[in-house]
Amino acid sequence: MMKISRRNMMQMMGAAAFAGPLASATRAFAGRAKELNILCWEGYNSAEVLDPFRSSHAANVKAESLTNDPTMINRLRAGETKIWDLINVNNPWARKVMAPAGLIKPLPRAEFEPYFDTMLPDFKAPYRWAMSDNGEDLLGMAQRFGPYSFVVNTDKVSKTTAEEQGWDLFNDTALAGRYGIQESDDWNVFNIFLIAGINPFKEHTEEEFKAFSETAEKVFKGARMVGDMASLNQALVSGEIDLYMTGGTYSVSPARADGYPNLRAITPLTGPIDGKGGISWIEITSTVNNPDLSPLAIEFLKYVQDPEVAHTVAFAEGTFNPVSQMGNPKCFELFTKDELEAIQWDSLEEDMARSAEYDIVPDYDKALELMTAARRLRG
Amino acid sequence: MAVTIHEEAIHGRSAAALPAIPAGLRAAGPVIVLLLLGFLAPLLTVAAYAFATPKSFDVFRSFTFANFSAIFDTSNTVWMSFAWSLAFALATVALLAVIAYPIAYGLNRMFGKWSGFIGVLFVFPLFVSENVRLYGWVLFFIKNGVLDGGLKWLGFSGGPEVLYTPGAILFGMLYVYLPFMLFPMSLGIAMIPRDLVDAARDLGASRLMIWREIELPLAMPGILIGMLLTFVLGAGAIAESKILGGQSVITIAQDIEVAFTYAQNWPLGSALALLLVAIVSGLALYVLAKLDLDRILGKR
Repeated sequence: MMKISRRNMMQMMGAAAFAGPLASATRAFAGRAKELNILCWEGYNSAEVLDPFRSSHAANVKAESLTNDPTMINRLRAGETKIWDLINVNNPWARKVMAPAGLIKPLPRAEFEPYFDTMLPDFKAPYRWAMSDNGEDLLGMAQRFGPYSFVVNTDKVSKTTAEEQGWDLFNDTALAGRYGIQESDDWNVFNIFLIAGINPFKEHTEEEFKAFSETAEKVFKGARMVGDMASLNQALVSGEIDLYMTGGTYSVSPARADGYPNLRAITPLTGPIDGKGGISWIEITSTVNNPDLSPLAIEFLKYVQDPEVAHTVAFAEGTFNPVSQMGNPKCFELFTKDELEAIQWDSLEEDMARSAEYDIVPDYDKALELMTAARRLRG
Repeated sequence: MAVTIHEEAIHGRSAAALPAIPAGLRAAGPVIVLLLLGFLAPLLTVAAYAFATPKSFDVFRSFTFANFSAIFDTSNTVWMSFAWSLAFALATVALLAVIAYPIAYGLNRMFGKWSGFIGVLFVFPLFVSENVRLYGWVLFFIKNGVLDGGLKWLGFSGGPEVLYTPGAILFGMLYVYLPFMLFPMSLGIAMIPRDLVDAARDLGASRLMIWREIELPLAMPGILIGMLLTFVLGAGAIAESKILGGQSVITIAQDIEVAFTYAQNWPLGSALALLLVAIVSGLALYVLAKLDLDRILGKR
């Protein structure tokens, strides 16, 4: 029988004092093992996507959806790397901003690169936007993508006319008061540059900024409305407007799926970005540089690569989009004719070929200031 | 002697055990801490951000007036957003005062047994999200919507073009903020003793004189609270200009939102927010001081 002496009582107390914090650390680790926090564009936060993962891992999964990339990056910069495990933003941010700033961590290449081999041909490993600048680290996984320029009601402006005239449609005074603008300021900066005939993704001269400013004033003054994509689709359907800028498969697909195939995302035939007329986006999902990263982050990234889940992601609530996993026949077969029609599969390849990939405008701050000032002149 | 020692011992012990904090304050301690953390701390953080280096997160680590000098730069047109927001807020207050008074009067004096039901009708929209209600109005006013489509169906040429104009924004604000003016005003009117009105009438006062000399001054506390509430809410309004107005004008709340999101410039957003707080509270305090509440309340 063990005798408790004063000495071993002290030893036990010492051990307890040492083990106490470790015990709480273990509890914290155990908590993170069943917890996952995702900062994302809408869709990944839908119950259809999350619930099967929640139940199969008995995990507490939270997903917060925001409507623009800069805000999500801001959250990490402001110290929320301790909160989030996964971040889902558009292509340039992982490679050009988050990785250099140490906000995300690389993925194990051997585990994840095989998934790229089953994706559509353009996404084969090493896929540029998923890799670090030096081409060594895998920074995230690709999934949803699409062309994003403008949307027309083809009963009012034909597809051919829209493609041929491209951004000049917004210079056409006859269309003043007949178009809308989506409140998506980062993309509007790209588009105002394109309407002015300037490549947005380079450093700009004073003269180019003057042209940008004048174009912004003209375009915002001529707009019938500035609103969210649901309002713009509604306005297109009702006939309040005939077209809107900053739009694409992403914004118009819900209206097309609702029985308005006459509303169509358009990619201009030519334009000022090395001859390309439109801009496309590709979402990259990365693991956050969380000091206590949930092991479920890696599991979730693998889970959304599954053909059935990828199809669910493509048609998650809000918007309907093509996914890179459509390169896998097992995934592609799940898309019905109507679903392919909603995401404009018929012209997707040519639209993407005509598009430059979303990039960062080096002097975005100045352009945004000029555009915000121009927008105030509407009143 | 023994008694004196005993008293000293008691006082000495109680002073040592409990410092001189009144029991009420001690009991209120947790609530005070909660209020400080929940209300004051965020405001102080915003204030601190307003003096941080532009486009950085150097809060509490840098101090600069750069954000304010950018706002007051003569080339900056942000004053237009302030002007629109304050103009909309003032117009909303003025129009709602005129619209809500007869309704509030009716709820207290005219509608009788129906006043409860009518009161509920005005409260009911508050159970539905503001955005949903505003989208409802969009569907009502939109081309081929309820109004335009209905008029066309009846053989008319269609409805007027209402949406996406400053007028639509003002309409939305009047609609959304009506209950916030109506209920304080109604409480104000409920404070008027009926005997006083009857006595004035017996003494030969005209209807207008009773209203001007008795009813209005006695209802004024409620009216003022309604006006203040509506003005503060109106100055920070954003949904109406976005949804009904199609951003035909840019309000200051929207500029603040853009600074915090697309522009990634929290210090500028904070400086704009702080300026808005200063202007709104300054104007409200100035008006309250001018109105001389004591005289209105009949205390002097």
